[in-house]
Amino acid sequence: MSTPEAGLLVALVGNPNTGKSTLFNALTGLRQRVGNYPGVTVARKSGTCDLGDGQKVELVDLPGLYSLAAASPDEQVVIDALSGNIAGDRRPDAVVLVVDATNLLRNLFLASQVAELGRPVVIVLNQADVAKEQGLRIDTELLSRRLGGVPVVLSSAWKGEGILDVRRAIAAALDQKAVLKRVNWPADIAGALAAVGKAATADTGKQVSVADAQRLLFDTNPSTAERLGWTVAQRESTLRSARDRVRYSGYNPMAAEPLVHYAHLRVVLEGVVTEGLGKAGQTAAVDRLLLHRFLGPFLFLGIMLGFFASVFWLAKFPMDWIQAGVDWTKAVVAPQLDAYPMLQSLLADGIIGGVGAFLVFLPQILILFLFIGILEDSGYMARAAFIMDRLFSWCGLNGKSFVPMLSGFACAIPSLLSTRTIEDPKARLATAFVVPFMSCSARFPIYALMCAAFIGPLYGPGWESLVMVGMHCVGLLFAVPTAFVLTRLVLKVKPQPFVLELPRYQMPKPRDVVWRMWQNAAEFVSKAGTVIFAITIIVWALSYFPRDASVAERIKAANPTAAEEVVKAKVQAAYVEQSYMGRFGKAVQPVFDPLGFDWKITVGVLASFPAREVIVSTLGVTYSVGEGAEADSQQLRKAMQDAKWSEGPRAGSPIFSLAAVLALMVFFALCSQCGPTIATLAQETGGWKWAAGSFLYMTTLAWIVAMLVYQGVSRLT
Amino acid sequence: MNLEAVIVGAIVGVAAGWLIRRWLAAARRRKEGGCAGDCGCATKLKPKK
Repeated sequence: MSTPEAGLLVALVGNPNTGKSTLFNALTGLRQRVGNYPGVTVARKSGTCDLGDGQKVELVDLPGLYSLAAASPDEQVVIDALSGNIAGDRRPDAVVLVVDATNLLRNLFLASQVAELGRPVVIVLNQADVAKEQGLRIDTELLSRRLGGVPVVLSSAWKGEGILDVRRAIAAALDQKAVLKRVNWPADIAGALAAVGKAATADTGKQVSVADAQRLLFDTNPSTAERLGWTVAQRESTLRSARDRVRYSGYNPMAAEPLVHYAHLRVVLEGVVTEGLGKAGQTAAVDRLLLHRFLGPFLFLGIMLGFFASVFWLAKFPMDWIQAGVDWTKAVVAPQLDAYPMLQSLLADGIIGGVGAFLVFLPQILILFLFIGILEDSGYMARAAFIMDRLFSWCGLNGKSFVPMLSGFACAIPSLLSTRTIEDPKARLATAFVVPFMSCSARFPIYALMCAAFIGPLYGPGWESLVMVGMHCVGLLFAVPTAFVLTRLVLKVKPQPFVLELPRYQMPKPRDVVWRMWQNAAEFVSKAGTVIFAITIIVWALSYFPRDASVAERIKAANPTAAEEVVKAKVQAAYVEQSYMGRFGKAVQPVFDPLGFDWKITVGVLASFPAREVIVSTLGVTYSVGEGAEADSQQLRKAMQDAKWSEGPRAGSPIFSLAAVLALMVFFALCSQCGPTIATLAQETGGWKWAAGSFLYMTTLAWIVAMLVYQGVSRLT
Repeated sequence: MNLEAVIVGAIVGVAAGWLIRRWLAAARRRKEGGCAGDCGCATKLKPKK
């Protein structure tokens, strides 16, 4: 695992929101490798850190955590990584503890626990600039002495300040091997720990460390005992009598550890931090407004409205440029293949039309992730979670459900994996069930297409943004009652306390925001070049074949006086209708008829079940093929705007009426159209029962709600 | 069968084969644990080799 140059491994540990990852990026310079810890889906982020003088170490960024009590898989990973109990990974040669300089007492609790591991330590007091702004002065030399001589350095990772000091401190720690001063346990607790360690060593035949003995005594989670192979029968009486001993000494066994550590830390920190005049009240003042009980939700809604309006406004010109590029490519390629109509259609209508229709949304995706990055890094995203907390608490979800549900707005897969941080299995199940309702970024292209083609031109940009926000809320609107029924009536989840730390407001760091935006853009383009590309070819083939030449002759004979262009368009439309896709779409269309979907939309909806963003490229292909290769690629919007029912009671009326447009968006907002999400749900819930239930429930709900929207709006307009 | 049909058939065949192979590989990776990397999410979590 360690780099060949040095062979030294250094672990980066700290509470969440201490700027640990920013420091990691600054130390490794984005030269990172991302993998997984074996057996779990906790990311292992590592990189090479140059300490100067040619010395390099491997730096591993461990998940953020508040204490070493393993309550979730990522916390367990940190404990295992620090104690060298991960297969294929060595015990770190040193530990860098990233501490929020504005909240030393709470952050050093983790340091106090890490002290028990006996590894060389560097304490990095990050966000030192904020501490300075708040008027806090920290005596690092005194703190270092009190902590046993370990290096203590100040840094401001997001500003790039103090990074050199951190590098030097790591080199010094590796050289001097100074360890943190351990806490002095009261005699009875020390006795209980010794008894547990001795019994576990005797029963398992393994050397049980002091740190392991503490986990065995203080944690209710049996993970340490299981790792050591100390069975329930072996440990039950030992742990009971040890905990009784702690209780008799006046401590609750479950609370003894933090009480003793905090008492130790209060002595350590005495005189270390002095307070002067600062800007401490600024964040609190802004929060009084943004987190106001009544104003807060309205401000949140306003911010989201501005957010989506800006996405449309800023993306308009780059989208036009990409569109022009697609048109140009099509105009250049198509005439070269006039002698080969099949190949011409595949390239121009299928590949360029389909992939182009998808790629046009790249600017919107870029701006979307730019804004998400700004909201996250400025500290507002955590406030958004706080505002939504009231809603989620009401529907009985565990507090930890916010993070998966919020990240579900980007992609449901990592959100489902992140439900593993929820300790209560029932709450985890309920959260996993409702996460797919969150409006992931794959739904964005269809909303954007419908808004740009119909809502914007008909009602103006204000309504465009409003509908966009509305569509992102539709999923939430149904997730809340679903969660309520699941948690209160089906699973009977017990409410659990949850503490959400609100980070300070700060200016987002351009490099981090742009880097994240770049990663998402690369993913989007890569998807267009791979999955969307391949699916587009299949959809084209299904909507091109079979081709019966007699169709063209019949239409020409029936329209002897019509212009050549008109006849050609009619022939193309007839070909698509009698293609495999056309036949299939027409056969299934009656199911979607109450929702106002014609057979082409039906084809798009069906093709989108493996991945919902396929709808855009499918519509691109079906409408492009139907209109002929010569038409420019603005045709998708125009063809959709011009599309009319050819038969039935709606003959002559537009297919994409306001009712149908809204019904289509609502259907996509609620329907379970993502193969990987369903598979991941099955994996996370330990079987296909809940995954199948989720698919049936979401798809049926989507059909019913979209039908009600279509029928309701049709009657009103 | 003309050359044009052969070329188009080959392109469609390769696309279909690649998709099937990719989905099978994703299913296998998912079985091993973690995100199979087929979701388009920015979080690239892959099982350790």
